Amino acid sequence: MKHSRRKILLTAAITALSLHAFSAQATPVKIGIVGPFSGPFAHYGVLFKGGVESYLASQGGKLAGQAIEIIYRDSGGPNPGGTKAVVQELVVKDKVDYLGGFIFTPNAMAIAPIIQQSKTPTVIFNAATSAITAKSDYFVRTSYTLWQVTVPEAQWAAKQGIKRVVTAVSDYGPGIDAENAFKSEFTKQGGQVVESIRMPMSTKDFAPFVQRIKATGAQAVYTFLPGGPPNLGFVKAYNQNGLADAGIRFLGTAEMDEFDLQKFGDDAIGLTTAFHYSAAHDSEANKRFKSALKATAPEAVANYASVGAWDGMYVIEQMIQATKGARDGDKAMAAAKSLKWESPRGPVSIDPQTRHITQNVYLRKVEKTADGLVNREIQNFGAQRDHGTKP
Amino acid sequence: MTDMNPKRRHESPLFSPFLVVVAGLAWWFFLPDQLGLLTKLAYTALFVISLDLVVGIAGLPSLGHAALFGVGAYAAGIFATFVSPDPLVGLFIGALAGSLTAALSGLFLLRFQGFTFLMLTVATSQVLLSLANKFRDLTGGDDGLASYVMGGVFGVWDFDLYGKVASVYAVASLSIGYFVALKFKSSPFGLSVRGIHENRTRMVAIGTPIFLRLWVTYVFAGLLAGIAGAISAQTNGIVALDSLSFNLSAEALVMLILGGVGRLHGAVLGTLIFGVLHHTAASLNPYHWMFAVGAILMVVVVVPRDTLLATLRSLVIKQPNRHRAQP
Amino acid sequence: MEELALNILIDGTTYGMVLFVIAVGMSVTLGLMRFVNLSHGAFAMIGGYVTAHCIQAWGFGFFSATLLGVLFTIALAGTLEHTVLRHLYRRSELTQVLFTIGLSFFLIATTNAIAGPQIQLIALPDWLNAQVDLGFRVLPAQRLLVIAVGVIVLVAISYAVAKTRFGVWLRAAVDNPDAAASLGIPIRLVQSTTFACGAALAALGGVLGAELMPLEPFYALKYLVLVLVVVAVGGMGDIKGTFMAAWLLGTIDTASQYLASSWGGIFFFVAMILFLARRPDGILKARET
Repeated sequence: MKHSRRKILLTAAITALSLHAFSAQATPVKIGIVGPFSGPFAHYGVLFKGGVESYLASQGGKLAGQAIEIIYRDSGGPNPGGTKAVVQELVVKDKVDYLGGFIFTPNAMAIAPIIQQSKTPTVIFNAATSAITAKSDYFVRTSYTLWQVTVPEAQWAAKQGIKRVVTAVSDYGPGIDAENAFKSEFTKQGGQVVESIRMPMSTKDFAPFVQRIKATGAQAVYTFLPGGPPNLGFVKAYNQNGLADAGIRFLGTAEMDEFDLQKFGDDAIGLTTAFHYSAAHDSEANKRFKSALKATAPEAVANYASVGAWDGMYVIEQMIQATKGARDGDKAMAAAKSLKWESPRGPVSIDPQTRHITQNVYLRKVEKTADGLVNREIQNFGAQRDHGTKP
Repeated sequence: MTDMNPKRRHESPLFSPFLVVVAGLAWWFFLPDQLGLLTKLAYTALFVISLDLVVGIAGLPSLGHAALFGVGAYAAGIFATFVSPDPLVGLFIGALAGSLTAALSGLFLLRFQGFTFLMLTVATSQVLLSLANKFRDLTGGDDGLASYVMGGVFGVWDFDLYGKVASVYAVASLSIGYFVALKFKSSPFGLSVRGIHENRTRMVAIGTPIFLRLWVTYVFAGLLAGIAGAISAQTNGIVALDSLSFNLSAEALVMLILGGVGRLHGAVLGTLIFGVLHHTAASLNPYHWMFAVGAILMVVVVVPRDTLLATLRSLVIKQPNRHRAQP
Repeated sequence: MEELALNILIDGTTYGMVLFVIAVGMSVTLGLMRFVNLSHGAFAMIGGYVTAHCIQAWGFGFFSATLLGVLFTIALAGTLEHTVLRHLYRRSELTQVLFTIGLSFFLIATTNAIAGPQIQLIALPDWLNAQVDLGFRVLPAQRLLVIAVGVIVLVAISYAVAKTRFGVWLRAAVDNPDAAASLGIPIRLVQSTTFACGAALAALGGVLGAELMPLEPFYALKYLVLVLVVVAVGGMGDIKGTFMAAWLLGTIDTASQYLASSWGGIFFFVAMILFLARRPDGILKARET
């Protein structure tokens, strides 16, 4: 029928036109930022963008004297096929010099062959599984891993005289990492993990799990959940179902993340977490970061995701500096591996073996101040490497 | 609308797959920077064709078709990890996994129709999703299965960075699958399944074995979906839980409805239109593309098709007054 | 052991009530107008967002804000129904699916653009946040409110359908629209009112459920599957069936969290398969042979 033939031709014409509309000229240094900008994880996209834009603005719009072009691409949720297609286009068509971003482990894993073949240095702003950086020589990470922040917390808990702990984590990669990290270190320190509870990702009502935690008779609960509804739900359930009153201490890592922190209200006061970044960290670098963020991206919050992007941009800047704006993946990575600097989180460096960031991990307690709730750093565990990899 | 005269060239099962090959070649030459997108569209189109067999031809709307795709993908990935990285053998494994899953689940599902069938397909795919998450030692759980490296097609052509080999591989598979599906649709068997869709009572009255015909159709759809899944696993180098997700099933159904249900051509068109639309909107604005896609889906439903085509025509082709017989 | 059973019962009932209040509107619309409205979740979301906004921005109390949220959703749903949706009643189900998914996308994008991607909290008055001591455990008072509202909604709707004139019209219109119309029953009025009520209930459910299902732009599609499951198992248009289905499924899901949480949501869907296979027309309707 003529009808469908015409339809096909029209479709083809429109396809070709729309796909051709985006060829840009390549003089500035191009950075592709890939993250979830739509869908249920869109808040991460806001945080990434905030960190990226504010860093760029704080450097006067240029990095290492070079003009910069940033291309943002949506990866949606955990979607390795789609992320791979997006990154392939960034590398092959847009010819980006650097890549940054990535929240989810499968998305980062999927692009490893592309960046390896094209020698594109890629800075991971978030995806926290230890195994990722080993997948390609061109990965460098400025976030954290669960092992990195959990091992010192387990050691601290043991020193506090806590003998029996129950772990309650969300049933996904990072959660299981967290559970393994805590179990391994805590038992090494002589403690006992009485039960390991895995909470399905689809959980909405955490009351059942809180009841289970109560029933174990443990002295503390070590927990890890993804940010957003699960985190919010669990902490609320912890308070509303009387765990705090029953004397079961809270041991967390990312749960008191500044993005959700204010929502917990007074219930959160006193909760302890071990983590690598607090917005209340008292340093010049952090003050600069926060004011830059406020000026350029007021909708973003200073937290581990935005600081991951901020520090990631610093690393990219150093790589641009080392290659003088030219595209040289190997030279850039060599420069990245030797970096040491003062980040808003504290003193950090890139481990040349794992290409993961070595950083201080702090023990924090939630306190109420005139500006709302903050994570007050009460102890510094010192520089921690990624304990999830062999030294 | 069935065309009973196979001699008309347009309706020959060779014509449309041939068009697909031509379009693929054109894309290959004119848009060599975007072969990743072409690959993705190709295996998705094959998936949506398989969905059309169930929804359009057998008349059973399904929101759990990703189960068959995902099973094919994981089978191919696990096979590549533990047995052999040869892609063509993996394709066969994916087909096998898809058809087996369709065979087993179909024995149960096909006893139902309408909304009940729809919800049971959702439940089936969610159960498989939970199982894939539970047995993370085999499937990698939500981190995905990425521990395999594919060998070359025919042992020679490796999947490269630019997606050259992958796109040819995917488009070739699509064309062949499309051809076979079209043959199926216009065969007496396919026509009887169509009949079951349109008037089950009458088909029963003339003695058609309803359940058997539907089951065979479902198994065939599972075969094609499994192949599509295997291609995605091989060309992406990773399989993750999204290949079993409700989102994937829903998106496929949306693409099918958009392109037109029941003729198989709509499956390919719908995939192309939705895929390009999503891609373009997301490139223009990664935050707000949902506005555009949502609005367009609504417009497509509300505005009559002829008006839409006429508007598109006037935008794209500047024609002087020419008398054109309306089809 | 009894403690465990009681815990499962309480938490399961709470969760089930939330599902019921959100799903009942969709069930009635589906049963009455055979209209597949996949944007139903969006109504729940909008009700919640407007309520949250009234509390945060204009300082309304919880109950007045909830009322405003419900009223706004009624207005929005009613307008949509009258202008666009009613023209879709005659179209195929797949077309309805396409349109309402497009509508959901659009509403998600709108919510994201207006309110941003973070979770919106509905601030509860202190007495709802207070812990109620049941002896063997403590429970936030809000949960008891949810259970109470669920039961009230069930009783109210059942009464309305069985005993009021509107209910008679509704039942007639479901059973045989043409005969009903020829008897002078205002079918359009019945349809619009029912649709608006369904949306109102969804909005109420969104507000009540915000503790369990936090409000975010993607809410509209995120919980859609759950609502569809409850509607399917309960039987289209069967209010008591929807209540039963929501309660049973909610309790089974909760039980699996207490007893076998590493299996994820599998028990919910296995239960669904079993219920639907045995009672495809609705859980309270024995299968017609």
